[in-house]
Amino acid sequence: MIKFEDVSKTYPGGQQALSKVNFHLEQGEMAFLTGHSGAGKSTLLKLISLMERPTVGKVLINGHDLSNIKRKQIAFIRRDIGMIFQSHQLLMDKSVFDNVALPLIIEGHTRKTIIKRVDAALEMVGLGNKSRNLPITLSGGEQQRVGIARAIVNRPPLLLADEPTGNLDPKLSMEIIRLFEDFNKAGVSVFIATHDLGLIARMKYRTLTLKSGRMITDGLEQNEGDWA
Amino acid sequence: MSLLFKGRQQASNNKVGIIQRFFMFFADHIRQGLHSLGELYRTPFASLMTIGVLGFSLTLPSTLYIMVANTEKITEQWQQASEISLFLRGSVTESQAQQLLKRLRTWNEINAVSYVSSEQALDEFQRLSGLGEALDYLDENPLPAVVLVTPTSKHASPTAAGILLDKLKKEREVDIGKLDIEWLERLYGLLKIAKELVYILALLLFFAVVLIIGNTIRLNIYNKRDEILVMKLVGATDAFIQRPFLYTGFWFGLLGGVMAWVTVTLILIWIGWSLDEFMAQYQIKLDITGLNMQALLIMLAVSISLGLAGSFLSVRKHVNDIEPE
Repeated sequence: MIKFEDVSKTYPGGQQALSKVNFHLEQGEMAFLTGHSGAGKSTLLKLISLMERPTVGKVLINGHDLSNIKRKQIAFIRRDIGMIFQSHQLLMDKSVFDNVALPLIIEGHTRKTIIKRVDAALEMVGLGNKSRNLPITLSGGEQQRVGIARAIVNRPPLLLADEPTGNLDPKLSMEIIRLFEDFNKAGVSVFIATHDLGLIARMKYRTLTLKSGRMITDGLEQNEGDWA
Repeated sequence: MSLLFKGRQQASNNKVGIIQRFFMFFADHIRQGLHSLGELYRTPFASLMTIGVLGFSLTLPSTLYIMVANTEKITEQWQQASEISLFLRGSVTESQAQQLLKRLRTWNEINAVSYVSSEQALDEFQRLSGLGEALDYLDENPLPAVVLVTPTSKHASPTAAGILLDKLKKEREVDIGKLDIEWLERLYGLLKIAKELVYILALLLFFAVVLIIGNTIRLNIYNKRDEILVMKLVGATDAFIQRPFLYTGFWFGLLGGVMAWVTVTLILIWIGWSLDEFMAQYQIKLDITGLNMQALLIMLAVSISLGLAGSFLSVRKHVNDIEPE
């Protein structure tokens, strides 16, 4: 699903965010990406969502080399990737329904389809009764779930989450991760960046660890420390 | 459309088909267009200011243009009354001149003739020139006798009068013939310059309007920065994001054009009142050619183009600049 081949990213000014990163996330796989702040997690996700381009190396999604994607096509790539952010990135002056409907409106679905799918997505994240609310009236966990509903409403084959549990207590964090597990069981590939090691320790998922831009562990061996 | 996952849309039950895409395209346009109008309504003061700038900027050149066009129309009427002056040869005697007059009166191109003898001409010149007694020292009268010919209205147009003039010049008593429309030609020259000035003024104002609209839209774009970022993150194309702003430009143009038309009409009514009084003294009946349907359409077209041009320049630059980081 996602494949990195010797990817390095150097920002203007010489700051090396990633160096020679290699990994392959299989279709239908769920994995965590971890590391300290500044280790390059966000940069790695930005390379997948085409907010940044690699300096060296190749990023492939479903076998397509992203370096062949032109600027005009980026919007269409992002429709295939459900993205979830720590800061939610919700429109605060629009209702929960309108926020979740946005990807469908952009794709040009009919009103009927939009209502059906948005309701289904909100139901899935447990916010079926909050569709007319403004995001500001919701709790942090609920806002995050609105963001998740928006990410899955057009049924993308790939979900990317950047610190989705960043501001949540352990119980809420677990609920969010359970949601991701549900989507994963439905066949969606899920890739979650987090520095919440306690959360990861409780799950048996593949974990990729970044340190100063290098991939130091890849797999379940994290606890044994073979690669550290 | 999915670039990365072939068959992704097809796999779902709710694929976006060609026909649906076609209709949703228009539905989207109508929705976004009305939404933009609603945004203008929600910020009435700011919107009215921008519409006002557009409206007044169009009013000035439009009003001036109508003035010039109407002046041209009036002078066309004057030109009909053109007069031909025939300067007779010095050798022509008084009785020969009277015979010429008699002959000319029989021409059916000619409405009236009058005769100014060389003495009368000198008297008049003495009175009007202010040279007074200095002229008494002349040995002989240098001025020729003049026959003033007024053509019938049918032969008063510049070309017909010109043909008549050529015919009159062939009379053996006539030395020089002159059609007194030269001052009109000079007036025409001035009007042409005035017209060009109106065009230049209009062009400058149009540029200003494009820049002002562009700047207003730029501010709108930056006010919606967060919304644009989110839309880009969930896969909105630049065209989709730009559309509401282009519609805002369109509405600015349309409303500004309507405002300009109303203002110009009011100005014309106002001027019409004072002009009627003035013209009544000269027994001239004049209807100002106001703004007809065609003019309204032209003004709206110009105005909408300016609004669209301003917003187009702005969205091209600024929507592209906003990228998620």
